[in-house]
Amino acid sequence: MEFGTIEREIYVEAAPEIVFDVVSSPEHLKQWWPDDARYDPTPGSAGEIVFGADDAGGTAVGFTVVDARPPRTFAFRWTHEIDQVATEGNSLLVTFDLTPTRGGTLLKMTETGFREMGWEVAVLEQQYHEHLTGWDFYLPRLAPYVATLETRP
Amino acid sequence: MTTTPGEQVDDDLWSAIGDPTRRRMLDLLLLEGAGTATTLGRQLPVTRQAVAKHLGVLDRVGLVQATPAGRERRYRVDDAQLARAAAQLSAVGSAWDARLQRIRRIAEAIQRTQRD
Repeated sequence: MEFGTIEREIYVEAAPEIVFDVVSSPEHLKQWWPDDARYDPTPGSAGEIVFGADDAGGTAVGFTVVDARPPRTFAFRWTHEIDQVATEGNSLLVTFDLTPTRGGTLLKMTETGFREMGWEVAVLEQQYHEHLTGWDFYLPRLAPYVATLETRP
Repeated sequence: MTTTPGEQVDDDLWSAIGDPTRRRMLDLLLLEGAGTATTLGRQLPVTRQAVAKHLGVLDRVGLVQATPAGRERRYRVDDAQLARAAAQLSAVGSAWDARLQRIRRIAEAIQRTQRD
């Protein structure tokens, strides 16, 4: 597994068209992630997502749609400053790939860009909400060691 | 800035452990039990001075503990602090899992509505 990438897969018992709508539309996005989302879900469209309340110390970060091919692929960049153009190095790239499977959808999520952005950004980003760094890649190396600690008196 | 207590992470600890060279150094120290800037430097593609600097960062956040060893300092990993870091990392690493579960629930609820 490459450093700086997160990969996840989940089976969803719903048609790809529905899953695509849930992962791509701003109305649905704020149901499963930020507190608010303002963007047009078409490639090249730049917007923002907001964590916390706008008028109470909330944090807005850039959200730029990179790819939108219903019902198979939706990709976006985020974490860049709102007035900046999202590129490799200033943002994280999230890609959703949808595959029809067993009457439902296999949803694969990949997030890359941690290495290019550096960990300082990852640390900052963590502060304003839940974070999603690639830490579970190091955990398999740490976990066996930590397990040995837990058995000590 | 909004954080919930369970997600609060020690920034310095994150920065310290977030660097690939420093993680490699922690691995070596765990593997060998202890090491100095010289012994670690032999096994890493960086200068002894760079190793010493990285050890300083790890020392400041308590991930390693140093004892004098001749003209150098001998470092070993601090078990409790490493366990603490690992617990925090585990908590934040599951963020995407939680999001995907929410995506699944929303999509499946919509699908059920359409079937009815």
